[in-house]
Amino acid sequence: MKVFAIAWKDLRSTARNVPGLVMMLVAPLALASLLGFAFGGGDSFEIAATKVAVTVEDTGAPGAPTAAGCTVAAILESPDLKDVLEVTRVKDAAAARKAVDDGDAAVAVIVPADFSRVVYGDDPAATAQVEIYENPTREIGGSIVEGIVGQVLADFNGARAAAAGAVALRSDAGGDPPPAQVAATAAEAFSHDGGVSSALKITQRSPKVGKTESEVSVTGAVLSGMMVFFMFFGAANVARTILTEDRDGTMPRLFTTPTRHGTIIGGKFVSVFVTVLLQAVVLLIAGRLIFSIDWGRIDAVVLLTLVAAGVAGGLALLIISFAKTPAQAGAIGSGIYLVLALLGGNFTGTAQSSGTYAVVQKLTPNGWIIQGWDTAMRGGGAADIRWQVLVPLGFAVAFFFFAVLKMRRRFA
Amino acid sequence: MSIVEVQELRKQYDPPKGVLAVDGVSFDISEGEIFSLLGPNGAGKSTTISMLSCLLKPSGGDAMIGGNSIVHQSLAVKETIGVVPQDIALYPDMSARENLIFWGRMYGLSGDALKSRVDEVLELITLVDRQKDRVDKFSGGMKRRVNIGVALLHKPKVLYLDEPTVGIDPQSGRSILDGILALLDQGMTILYTTHYMAEAQELSDRIGIVDNGKMIALGTHEELVRIVGQDARVTARVDHYLEGLAERWREVAGVEKVDVEQDEAVLLVKDADQVLPRLFESAAAAGSRITEINVTEPNLEMVFLHLTGRALRE
Repeated sequence: MKVFAIAWKDLRSTARNVPGLVMMLVAPLALASLLGFAFGGGDSFEIAATKVAVTVEDTGAPGAPTAAGCTVAAILESPDLKDVLEVTRVKDAAAARKAVDDGDAAVAVIVPADFSRVVYGDDPAATAQVEIYENPTREIGGSIVEGIVGQVLADFNGARAAAAGAVALRSDAGGDPPPAQVAATAAEAFSHDGGVSSALKITQRSPKVGKTESEVSVTGAVLSGMMVFFMFFGAANVARTILTEDRDGTMPRLFTTPTRHGTIIGGKFVSVFVTVLLQAVVLLIAGRLIFSIDWGRIDAVVLLTLVAAGVAGGLALLIISFAKTPAQAGAIGSGIYLVLALLGGNFTGTAQSSGTYAVVQKLTPNGWIIQGWDTAMRGGGAADIRWQVLVPLGFAVAFFFFAVLKMRRRFA
Repeated sequence: MSIVEVQELRKQYDPPKGVLAVDGVSFDISEGEIFSLLGPNGAGKSTTISMLSCLLKPSGGDAMIGGNSIVHQSLAVKETIGVVPQDIALYPDMSARENLIFWGRMYGLSGDALKSRVDEVLELITLVDRQKDRVDKFSGGMKRRVNIGVALLHKPKVLYLDEPTVGIDPQSGRSILDGILALLDQGMTILYTTHYMAEAQELSDRIGIVDNGKMIALGTHEELVRIVGQDARVTARVDHYLEGLAERWREVAGVEKVDVEQDEAVLLVKDADQVLPRLFESAAAAGSRITEINVTEPNLEMVFLHLTGRALRE
């Protein structure tokens, strides 16, 4: 009971601390609104160039001057598209797909080995399929690549149909038909044969995560990052009362009552945990009501909220256990939270992460949690975010363990 | 029967070279007694109270409070004692009533028992009308009363009051002292620390004088005053030649001791009525004139001066 009395007392003090509440609840909502409006008021977005892994397995065709597949790659690598696409050549189809799976590329374009033979061949039944393998979370980037490749294939199909038409006309005429008639026939064949029945097609594949049709709104992506970031500060605010009470004499006075030290520290832990939990719940509801954010399946939302509260609480208590004064805790805590937020992607989300940055993100608990929110908002369930829950949970347990160890020594 | 028995209590911070704040202090307090620890700031009073409150572990010695050791049975000791710390230790953003309810819970009270006890304490500290006001809106004296009220919630057998009148106006101080005297009617035992001689003199059944961590005298007021005999304390200012005059006064019959402190001489004299004319004569003979003279009958201040060579206020 005493544990809850201490926790309840702290929660009431937190509720009366208007500046603290503004920072815990209003600031993340305000920042999410501003950034949301700045980037399109809730639509999906891609800011940086889309990373594309391209492999051309096409070895050309007998008599053809160049492999047609190289033309596809060359167009994607065109200087005119460099602001939109960042193309990297990889050795084979497996490497291209792995680049997408690992987050190193948003889209892979795989030009098959028989591509030139179909383009330059005379078998009307032959087909070749260019595979576009895309991360479902990069929808705009994937659409751009799909559009460009589709246009190139349509041109090839049209040219192939036009050539066939011209050959057929010459054969029917038994000699050289007038150039104007050849051009008209070719144009007609070009315009009719560039459709779905053509020899060159696109196939789309994706590494699936839950219901891939869901999109993450800008506001949702930003608010999830802001929520985790400000949960750290919310936890720090409450945890700092341990030092404030020590300074103001109420903590020593608590130790003169017939209350065990573990109960007193436990009460503080409970108040920190419940505060950030409530903060998260309020932000989740506000995000839903104000911004219509679909946070995802309830199991994923509950797990991510609990684990984020655990990490925020554990880290705040760990920092407090090392700080000597409330001011020192504030300064150290702010620095640590900011660095973690920058490394973990609280301000950028996971949409842009790849390569080294993606690895760095995974060194931080918040990086995992944000990744978990991204997956949850795309429809992922508890199974899809198991690592995004278990790894931060490990962080939280470690933080709590060391915080309790230090505090027991300090207040023994 | 003693409810508090302190035996050779010792506290050294950061041993082995740290400050020895309390050095082998021993005393006991009988049930229903008010015992004061009197001494200047830094004498070791608060450190002693902290050890007796189980806040600090003694470096040596022990104390039994209500039959329980502060070293080995701290939880039982804490159920016996109520502690009023020197500084206000309340939650300023909570009302007086909310503070009392919270602290009552910490002392193990709950339900109707808690509610009725909070009402009683609010009556006792005369804050019934202001019970719903936040503590940070209170005057210093009102905060002090709530501070004391918290320690009374569980009706402790022994109440520690660590300089409860420091920093408040005389009227509030008077009110607190009257409240403490009223607690005696409830059979409470009180350990009181102060550096105000008058408070110790007025409140206490017995007084322990501490200095530099040591108990230098212990007894009733009368017993302590007897240490300095019947000497009166005379302070005198002269227009000039103070040092030379002090030498002359040491030779005057009835003068026991003369100290020069800044611009005045402090003398311990037997039978002040007889000695004062001789002091004036001696000054006149030396060509000096006494510009101010005060006579104080024997008291605890003089006891402290006698024992340490320093004034209590230093």
